[in-house]
Amino acid sequence: MKIIVQRSGGVAGMKRTWTVRPEPPEDTDRWQPLIEACPWDDVAGPGEATGQPDRFMYSIRADQRRAVLPERELTGPWRDLVECARAAAEEAGPAEIG
Amino acid sequence: MFRSVAYRSAAYRSGGYCSIVPPYLLRRLAAQQEPGFSGAAEAAQKALLHVKSFQAARAELTLLAVPAARGLKPGAPERTIYDARSLEQLPGSLVRNEGKPPSGDPAADEAYDGLGHTHRLYADAFGRDSIDGKGLPLEATVHYGKRYDNAFWDGRQMVFGDGDGVVFERFTKSLSVIGHELAHGVTQFSGGLNYRNQAGALNESLSDVFGALVEQYAKQQSTAEASWLIGEGLFTDQVQGAALRSMKAPGTAYDDDVLGKDPQPDSMDSYVRTSADNGGVHINSGIPNRAFCLVATALGGNAWDAPAQIWYDTLTGGTLAPNATFGAFAKATVASAKELFGADSKEHDAVRSAWETVKVKL
Ligand SMILES: [Zn+2]
Repeated sequence: MKIIVQRSGGVAGMKRTWTVRPEPPEDTDRWQPLIEACPWDDVAGPGEATGQPDRFMYSIRADQRRAVLPERELTGPWRDLVECARAAAEEAGPAEIG
Repeated sequence: MFRSVAYRSAAYRSGGYCSIVPPYLLRRLAAQQEPGFSGAAEAAQKALLHVKSFQAARAELTLLAVPAARGLKPGAPERTIYDARSLEQLPGSLVRNEGKPPSGDPAADEAYDGLGHTHRLYADAFGRDSIDGKGLPLEATVHYGKRYDNAFWDGRQMVFGDGDGVVFERFTKSLSVIGHELAHGVTQFSGGLNYRNQAGALNESLSDVFGALVEQYAKQQSTAEASWLIGEGLFTDQVQGAALRSMKAPGTAYDDDVLGKDPQPDSMDSYVRTSADNGGVHINSGIPNRAFCLVATALGGNAWDAPAQIWYDTLTGGTLAPNATFGAFAKATVASAKELFGADSKEHDAVRSAWETVKVKL
């Protein structure tokens, strides 16, 4: 299992990437409900997702699933997944950039 | 790319921001009703309503955007600063409003002063009465979110985060960033530029141009004296970099072990194609940014004079389509320079040659 969160935009325009590789079975069992809680099929494509000026854009991947969300749509299960991925990735090591 | 620099993760840990994964996950799942979530959704809905009403009023606003031509004089600013107290709810609680003495909170007072400097540039240089051209009260919220590494314009007000303290300081520290955010409002009220691809990069560039002008005017710096940096002073001293962007030399603002190198191109030869950042709006803005700086450098003196008049006329003249390309924008600046200063003027020459240098075809 592999979860990748990429945050782009913001007034600084700096790209940040957080990657998590949960170990089966304990870790993957914890991540699975977080991933399943997200409405992957209900997000507009990247073409539709235009944000307010200077807000972040999120590209979220969990294995084969992918979603692109403007910051203001990063709520509920999406926000949980992103914040957990960021925390886990930063716990594992320094953030990847680029 | 994985760079191993210890300070970032160490600082996050010492700040108690995260813990080992399993308990954190459980806490997050248990805390889905955190007030910040509903607040952010509510704010987004509010902003959407405002965008709709702005679009309906577009034609009228475009006319009103030039009050000097209508014999009106810009009034005094009407500022209100709010404190979100680390939540993501807008606007937050009132900290300081117009005419009140400093609050003692540096973020609130920097925002208050920054709004004043911005209002003054538009009034003095362009005869424009506030962001909408008709005296819109200026509102800003500081201390938005926790360790929030950003500042933005939500369609009706400015919002400033405190930064994470590791890479970024509080975002009110830079006057060019305050001016940048308010310029997004000016662009919106002038008819708008789609926030994607080249139109989005133009939207970003206009914010950098007017953000830099606010700072230069406040400091009374000539083109030669100015730094032409956007967001100077925002990085902590742990970051190897001067600012977020350099208008004079795009791609040179920072080069850091952790953050990497400033990715801005300085001409169409190195235009960046990407799906991230709404199509690279904060990246390719380097190209029109440099064009403006080249015009100012060629003409000398103060950038808020002829160079700014040409760019302001282009933005507010009503000829710029919301999906304008760099080429369309460049042509519009040439037309503005010709109209304002004549076909044989040095201003017209400077604009043409600037776009040639950055390889945007006219
Ligand atoms: Zn911007």
